[in-house]
Amino acid sequence: MNETENIIIVDKLTKKFGDFTAVDHISFEVHRGEIFGFLGANGAGKTTAMKILCGLSLPTSGGGTVNGYDLCREQEKIKRHIGYMSQKFSLYADLKVWENIRLFGGIYGLSGKRIRQKSDEMLHYLNMTDLRDELVGDLPLGWKQKLAFSIALIHQPAIVFLDEPTGGVDPETRRLFWDLICETAEGGTTIFVTTHYMDEAEYCDRVSIMVDGVIADLDSPAALKQHYQATDMDTVFRKLAYQAKRE
Amino acid sequence: MVLLYLLEKEFKQFFRDPGLPKMAIAFPVLMMLVFPFAVSMEIRNINLVVVDSNRSVASSKLIETCTASGYFNLVAVSDDPDWAMQQMDKNRADAILTIESDFDRCLERGEALPVGIKVNTINGTKGSIGAGYLTSCIQRYRAEASPASTASPTAGPQLDVSAKYYFNTYLDYKKFMVPALIVIAITMLTGFFPALNIVSEKERGTIEQINVTPVNRGVFILCKLIPYWLVAFFVLTACLLIARWVFDYSCAGSVGLMYFFTAGNILVTAGMGLLISNYSENAQQAMFVTWFFMMVFMLVSGIFTPIASMPDWAQAITYLNPMRYYADAMRGVYIKGSTLADVWSDAAGLLTIGTVMVAWVILSYKKTT
Repeated sequence: MNETENIIIVDKLTKKFGDFTAVDHISFEVHRGEIFGFLGANGAGKTTAMKILCGLSLPTSGGGTVNGYDLCREQEKIKRHIGYMSQKFSLYADLKVWENIRLFGGIYGLSGKRIRQKSDEMLHYLNMTDLRDELVGDLPLGWKQKLAFSIALIHQPAIVFLDEPTGGVDPETRRLFWDLICETAEGGTTIFVTTHYMDEAEYCDRVSIMVDGVIADLDSPAALKQHYQATDMDTVFRKLAYQAKRE
Repeated sequence: MVLLYLLEKEFKQFFRDPGLPKMAIAFPVLMMLVFPFAVSMEIRNINLVVVDSNRSVASSKLIETCTASGYFNLVAVSDDPDWAMQQMDKNRADAILTIESDFDRCLERGEALPVGIKVNTINGTKGSIGAGYLTSCIQRYRAEASPASTASPTAGPQLDVSAKYYFNTYLDYKKFMVPALIVIAITMLTGFFPALNIVSEKERGTIEQINVTPVNRGVFILCKLIPYWLVAFFVLTACLLIARWVFDYSCAGSVGLMYFFTAGNILVTAGMGLLISNYSENAQQAMFVTWFFMMVFMLVSGIFTPIASMPDWAQAITYLNPMRYYADAMRGVYIKGSTLADVWSDAAGLLTIGTVMVAWVILSYKKTT
């Protein structure tokens, strides 16, 4: 695998809401196959930036490509090749487990046979075969998140965006969730993940830290720790995030 | 096909909802079983106070004629005009019939009857209809009491006007209201349900998961629209059957034409609901905006008050009101048996507004903001 091939290229990306500049001329690249951590305090602009990368939002200026497609003109093409899981749990709570899998499989154009095959595999892999006929709304949060993640991967996207996937989940489930993420990355899928948990940042190949709409630093966790003379990512984050001027 | 998967989702969600399917059943039943009786413009139970200063056999016969007509409740017979007036002030009397002391003498002589009618016209319609009923009771009484007077020698050749009533032969107000109530039931259900639909996906966050997929927005909107066609057809069928079983009314024209107009109406109401849903941030907002439009549509639709008696400017506004076309067509087909050739202008109006609505919904639904 060519390590330096860039799946995401962003150049001077900017998003303004009225007078407020949520994302301010950020530029970076994400390599194919890596786990890219996108960190930042609340309100630093990471969700806004992520929405632009997913084609949910148009940049005010600047641009870039995701999997070779233009961010400003080819959002619908981008959407074919990405998976997305948001911090707000977003499967249909009033549909059963298998019905959610079937729906999203169908939306991404999988055949009925392929969907059945996929959902058997997925449920077996997640140890959820017995929960097939449960309404998704009745599942515990940890299970929901694992299911949502797997459904985001149903069409084998080149890259999957995870917006605070482990928010509100207990430590043990978080660890299992990250096992799932690492296994997926080993399979060649690029992971773009935002998180608040600095211990999770250690799992990433590279992390960027956003402060006030700009990228304050971007490197591997090891290099960042060395640069800021810190023993853990938590200290690195505090040193950078405390430069923030806006709330 | 993506369309089928999305439709499957919409139907499952509809039937799993704790309230929607029950509403879809309860609403038409209520509309057809309760409102034809309750929403009646027929004036009955007019409270009548009689001031009888004559107190003769003739005057009590007149009072009997009035009460026997079935339109009046006799509150009291008194000989004090002031007391009677007080009753009207206190809202206990809608009409006062005053019989003067020389009533029986005038009747014998064949002179004009000395009776007076006072009506409370706070409700103008009720007042004037009440006065009309009273007048006709008095005339009937006079005709019965002294047949000679109607054929008096001085009378010239008489014009005998006879009215023939078409379509709703017995002037049955319920028959007039049944198609209108169908229109209201369908418009309300298929307006409010979709208005809540997209906005609830917004509230739950599921809309984002849809927007991040390559699903075509036209297909997505179509899948939101189709279930309401079926809801509306179900409601229409239920209403027609109830009208048949309970009131023994049946559609004078083609039932198929009623389904055709209902299908056209869904484009408008469901389209409008989804449109409001698109622009609303939460369910409350969507509900209030929908309620506002429904209210306006209903009041100037011609369902309760004839459009022809509205002032010109109000009549001009009704051309923008989709319910006007739908109500007019449904009444025409159901009561008169109108054919498409008779109500083609309603079809044109309805379909034009509907097409604009649906196009607007699709264009205003943004997957990328």
